[in-house]
Formats: sequence, C-alpha cells, structure tokens
Amino acid sequence: MRARLLFLLPLFSGLTAAASGFETGPQGARVLGLGGASTAYIGSIAGLSVNPGLLGQWGDSLTRLSFGGFGQIRRSSYIGQDTYKRTDQDLTVLPGGYFYATRAVSKRVSVGLALTSPYGYHTKWPDTWEGRSVIQESQLNTYFAQPTVGIRLSDNFSAGVGFVYAYGKYSQRRALGQYDATNTSYQFSSSGSGYGVNVGLYGRSGDNLAFGISYRSGVRLKMNNGTIGTSGVPARDAALYPASSSFKTQINLPSTLSVGLADRITKNLLLTFDFTLNGWSTLDSLRLDVAASGTAPAQRLSTARRYEDALAFRVGAEYQASPKLTLLGGLNYDESPIRDEYINPEFIDANRLGASAGLSYQLTPRFALEGAYAFSYGQQRLSRANPLNATVSNVGGTYRTATSTASIGLAVAF
Amino acid sequence: MKNFCLNTWSRAGLTAVAALALNACAPGQDTPTPTIGVNVSRYLAVGDSYTAGLSAGGLTLASQQYSYPNLLAQQLRGAQADATFSQPLLAAGAGSGYFSLVDFTAQGFPRTRRVPGPAVRRLVINPAACGGADTIRLLTRTDAPGTLPQNLGVPGLRLAQLQVANLGNEINATPTGNFNPYFERILPASDSRTYLKVVTDAAASATFFTYFLGLDDLMPYLRSGGQCGTAPNSTLTNTLRNNAKVVLDVLTAGGRPGIIARLPDLNTLPLLRTGRGLSLQKRLQATYGDNALLYIEDPFGSGVAQPITDDEYVLATVLPRIGQPSPVLVGTTTMMLPYGRDVRNPIRDADVMDFDEMNRVNSVLNSYNTELDRLASVVYKMPIIDASKKSSTLDLNGAMPSYVGEAISVGGVLYSAEPVRGNFFSLDYYTPTPRGNALIANAFISAINKAYQANIPAIDVNSLPSVAQ
Repeated sequence: MRARLLFLLPLFSGLTAAASGFETGPQGARVLGLGGASTAYIGSIAGLSVNPGLLGQWGDSLTRLSFGGFGQIRRSSYIGQDTYKRTDQDLTVLPGGYFYATRAVSKRVSVGLALTSPYGYHTKWPDTWEGRSVIQESQLNTYFAQPTVGIRLSDNFSAGVGFVYAYGKYSQRRALGQYDATNTSYQFSSSGSGYGVNVGLYGRSGDNLAFGISYRSGVRLKMNNGTIGTSGVPARDAALYPASSSFKTQINLPSTLSVGLADRITKNLLLTFDFTLNGWSTLDSLRLDVAASGTAPAQRLSTARRYEDALAFRVGAEYQASPKLTLLGGLNYDESPIRDEYINPEFIDANRLGASAGLSYQLTPRFALEGAYAFSYGQQRLSRANPLNATVSNVGGTYRTATSTASIGLAVAF
Repeated sequence: MKNFCLNTWSRAGLTAVAALALNACAPGQDTPTPTIGVNVSRYLAVGDSYTAGLSAGGLTLASQQYSYPNLLAQQLRGAQADATFSQPLLAAGAGSGYFSLVDFTAQGFPRTRRVPGPAVRRLVINPAACGGADTIRLLTRTDAPGTLPQNLGVPGLRLAQLQVANLGNEINATPTGNFNPYFERILPASDSRTYLKVVTDAAASATFFTYFLGLDDLMPYLRSGGQCGTAPNSTLTNTLRNNAKVVLDVLTAGGRPGIIARLPDLNTLPLLRTGRGLSLQKRLQATYGDNALLYIEDPFGSGVAQPITDDEYVLATVLPRIGQPSPVLVGTTTMMLPYGRDVRNPIRDADVMDFDEMNRVNSVLNSYNTELDRLASVVYKMPIIDASKKSSTLDLNGAMPSYVGEAISVGGVLYSAEPVRGNFFSLDYYTPTPRGNALIANAFISAINKAYQANIPAIDVNSLPSVAQ
C-alpha cells in the first residue's frame, strides 16, 4: 500500500517539516472519516475546533449538537540496535471524546462550544524491555474547551473567534535499572492548564468552491503540582532518590495554521483539501524543576526534545450515496516533528501516511449516526544511542509505528 | 503489508471488527539472524583475572558464570549452535572468598569486609612479603582436572610467568615460591606444565581464541603505590612483548581466527580513578565544607610535602582513611592531624601512584599495546577491527566507563568507575561486576562483528546482576 502511494512523496519533498506528533487526530467521527480535511468543510459542526470561521455558516434557526467518542491505538515495535531483540509496545487504548454545540443568537451572530481532547498519547512498554530505565510508561491527556463566537460578514463570508481553555495531565514511569531488584521504579505525575485563542475565516465563491483559513495559538500547560515518587530504592541510596518530592514543569502544545479548500465536483461528491502547519518547535525540551527534598538538593532535570515545526496534508471526499447515507473517505500525510537525533521511546513518531473511511446515516430528520475508522502507518525510524554521551538516556534501535483510530458519534439538529 | 498480522490476502475478507483487531497488532519488523563467518565451535579464552571471572576479589560459581568469555560464548552459540564452552567451575557456594559491602563513609567511600571462602583448603603465608604479610589460598581442584577447560583465564597470572615450570604444582606452594593457586586447581595434582604448555595443549583443538593478558603483571605495582611488584622498566617491557609473541604464535598457528585485546588505560580502573588528585580534593572539600588541600609525600624523600595534582592518584583502598585524624610527630610532640589534609601529615608514598610512577607503568603498558597491535596486523595479518586507526586489536577503553567524561550511559543506566554505585567495577576496585563483564563481552562481540563479517547480538547489559556473589 505504501509503495503505491509513493507518487505522493514528490509533493512533500519540498517541505521542510510536517505535522502529527501527539495529536490524536480529527475531533469528530465525520471529520475523521474525511481524513481531517475540515478547514473549509461545513458538513459537520466538528469543524468548529479547527476553524471558528465556519460557525457563521450554521446561523439558521436550528440548534446543533454533535457528540461522540473515539479510541486510538498507537503501537510501535522496536528492535535493539545491538541486541536484535524485538519488543512490541503493550496494547493501550487512548480514549477521547468530543462535544459540539452551535446556536444562532441573531441574524449575523452565532455562538458555539467545542469540548475536545486533541492531544495525547499513552505509551506502554513491557516492564522488562531493554529501555526500561529510559521509559516504561508515559501518558499525556489534554482536554480543550473552546467557547466561540461566529459572525456572518456576508452571505458568502464568515469569521469566528474562540477562546481556548486547556487542561492536561502528564505522567511517566521508568525503572531504576542500576539496581538489581526489578521492582525499583521512578514515576512522576502532574497536571495543569493553559489558555489560547482560535481565529478563522470561511468564504465561498458561488456554490461549488469554498475556502477556509484558521490559526490557533499555542497553549502552554503550566503544571505546578507535580509529584515524583520512587520505590524499591535500597536504603544506602535513599538520599539520592527521595521517596517523594515535588516539581514544576510546562508542556507547550503547538500552534496550528490551517488552510483548506472544499470543491463540489458533482451534486453528490465533495472534495476537501487541507494544509496544516503545526508549530511544534515550541516544544524544545522537557524540564522538571524538582524542589529540594530531605538531603537531596533542588535540581532541574532536562530532556532535550527539539521538535520541529511540521506540516500535514489531507484530502477528503464526501459522497452522498442515498438521501440517508453519506460515505466518507480520506487520505493524509503527516510529517513527524521529531528529529532523528531526538527519537526517544517515550513517544515514537514517524512521517505517517494514513487512510480513513466513514459514514453518516440519517436515522431521522433530526438524528444522524456517524462512524469512522482511520489507519496510519509510519516510516521506519532509526535511533542511535551514544553511550559516551552520559547526559542522554536512550536506547538505540529501529522503530515502526502504526495508529488506528475509531470513532462513533451522533449529530443532532433541532 | 507487513503491518498486518495476518499474512495472506486470502484472509482479507474480514469484518470491520476483525480489521480493527488486526490493525491493533504492533507493526512488524524483521529481526536480523545471528551469523558468523568463522568457526567458533571450540573457543579458547586466554587471560588473567578478567578472563577467569574474578569479581570483588574472589572467584565464585556465579562470578565464573558471568565471566566475559562465558557471556561471549553464550552469544556465539546463538550463531553457531554446536559451539561449546567449558569453564573450571567451582561448586555452588564454594568460593575463594570475596569482598562484601559494609557501608559507605560520610564521604561516600565504600567500606568492605572479606567473606571467607569454603573452597580454601590450605593457607600459605609469606610474612616477609613486600607491603605486609601475603596469603596464598589453595583451592579445591576442578571436577575434571584431566581435561583442560576452554576458559584458561587464571586470576593473578602474570605474562612474565609464561614459561615458569611448576607454576601450578603444589610443591611450589611455599612463601616465596613461584606459584598460582588458581592455575593449580585447573590442573591434575603434581602437574609441572607451564602456562604456555597448557595453552599449547588446549589450542590443539581450538578453532577460535581471545587473548587479554598482561594486566595482572602491572597490578601488584599499582596496588602497592609503586612500592612492590615487578618494577616497570625496559626489562619488564621486553619480557611482556616477547612472551606475548610466544603465546600468540601458538594461538594464531595455522591462521586460527581470534581477537587480541589491548590493555585498557590504567587510570580507568577505580583503584586509581576514584582517587584522582584534584577530583578527590574537590570531593573532600565539598563533604568537609572547607578548603583544605591534599598533600602527598615528596616521592624523592626530601621530606617536604607537596600538594596533589591531577596526575597523581590516591589508591581507592586508602580513601576511607583520608581526612581521618592520625598521629604525627611534629617537632617533639605527637599531634592528631587529618591524614593527607594537612601539610604536616601528607599521604604516604605507598598510598599514592604519583606522576613518575604512573609514567613508568604507562610506558610499559603503551609499549606492550603497540607490540600487540604490530603483531596482529603485521605478523599475523589479522582482519581490521578499527578501520579509522587501521588497528587489528581490540581497544577496550571504549567499553570502560570514565574514558571520555566520567560515565557511560547504556540503555538509560549510568556506568562509572565509582565502586558499587558505578555498577561496572566490583569492590576490589579492579575486576568488573557481571554487568561490567557484559560490557566487555559486548566490546568483543562488536570486534568479532567487524573483523569477521559476523552478526552476533549484544547482551542486554542492564538485565544482569550488579554483584557476582
């Protein structure tokens, strides 16, 4: 399948970077089926979180709701650079959900609310794997709430602005492999929140061609309540690894700049295209500012990440198969923000090629059932560990990553 | 479609549920198959303490099983199933005695005690040995003394003793006799063979060899702060170089493939490294919270103490005593002054490897290493291991911690020259732990892979224990 899609590669070879990272993907069953190309797509109010400029287009007398859930399985396999041992990540399902509501308050002004879970991952390696002292388990969950106002500038143009409140939880666990006991572990967890804005514009020329452009600022999740705990450390080293201490950290979520087109090819077929630039470069390193605890002094633990800005390209198709049934399909190519030198098993990512399919079935004039499935497959990544650089904790080897996402939801208009 | 867990398209007519389930499998990757281009069916290991598996000053069944030749042999077996390897194993629980950790001093230096070994059957004490009484411990003999083991590593074996007859014969077990109890226990009783003869006999059936010999020639000098052992001079240099050629002629006879290891830098050993002059001074200043300098005796005996430099190394065995008050005669009164941390109470010459002593021993080591390199590439025309240096011998410095920087990081675990916490070296400040042995074995594996177009997997070092007892 990859080989057949290689013709797409020249399209992207001129790009310096692309998107993906730990985005969980399109936030809505219908836009997931469309491959996420929803910056200029008004077929689902789930576009609200991507482009607030769409909101003005749902300015009729109806109140619209769209909600549902999704599950994402992201698994990587690893082969040790020198040991040749293969390790597969444990199966984890990253749950997510979405809720959207829109309502017109006047002829020109509409309001909306978007609750989404746009970023996250759950990496879980077997407890005894080769890199257990680098990472055993790492989890990030984020939740965005975005109240939005949309203004219909004319029949063909609308603009919108949303305020983003984000909440995130982050935790990590690894083994202290310098000790023989296999149950020694080091874990930390923290949570915090941040703010951002989301602005967008939507326009239409005639009935067949529409465009959208939107920008969502980056969000800094400030986490001030972190706790570090260790267990199983021998008494002689208790001062080096206090049983518990507190820390502060910050996680920078990227800004996104999206440009999209939607083109109605025939009465029943709509094609959509999206380009997204994700500003991952704000994620430079993970720094834990650990407070002093007992005889252990305050210290800063820093892990370099050096993410790059990254582009994503998405194509979607919507086909009205019957008055009640709409079929969806999509293709996407997501570049990875992670450079070769900074591949770390905490979160494995690669340039990924993905395909998606979905459907929307109108149960009654008010209710539509939506479902979608997306699969993406990453390039092989080679990580080299340099033992002589003692400040970097890593394992060398090759990684392959595949992601499956399934979503189901309901769209209501009344 | 490697990413799919089902392997044929015939099963492709699946329900959506099944498709979901199968995509949840981790994407596949092909693991390389271990291969080796040479015959390793009978591997012969020649060496001293490291090769024998000495750890924490003693030999036990576990320490023998974690010797680097045995770890290496296990990996070789993955590529060649009929490869065998035999060691002169001690019975379970019947070790020669070893050091165990008691506690750490306030300065973080380990204190050890010696655990007696049940395998000791007789003691020979030399009260007049240099640096204090010396004890030779005769050990229970191996189960099969008639058959030579493939691991011919002998703790304490000096290359200079290569052609000494009766080295492993109990008649030589006298206070001043040329005798090695570890060699004795792998031979039949009253065997007068030299080590060279034993290697020659064992090599007759060997198809592959490793050679890592010579470190134990220099250790007595190091351990005594330059007071005892064979003086490192041109005589020793020539003996080592000549004897290396004699034994390597036997090992490489008929073009037998193998790996020759050069000796690592001596200051990578924790015996020296933990007490490196200025680093030690800084560490002591930090724990005592003062600015006191470290002083050593003037090696030429002028009686004037001099501040320590980074070219001088306080022996690790002495470190717990540094800074402790000890009686010194100042003028006519005896005062209690901190050992080494007062200009009137400098560290004794026997407790320090000073600049000149280091120079002397290093010149022997460098000359010996150069000769090994020359023999391997010019005389025996062995394949190249390090292409950038056009070297056909294995440089173990890369595998040892504290060669570049103070530590190496392996799979998220730091290894340093620090005993106990550094995980590489055992409590005798000299021999490796099982993990250290695995890192050395991995260096040999990497050398074999380069020299013999092989594809031998390395050992997951962090999965081994950090003590061999």
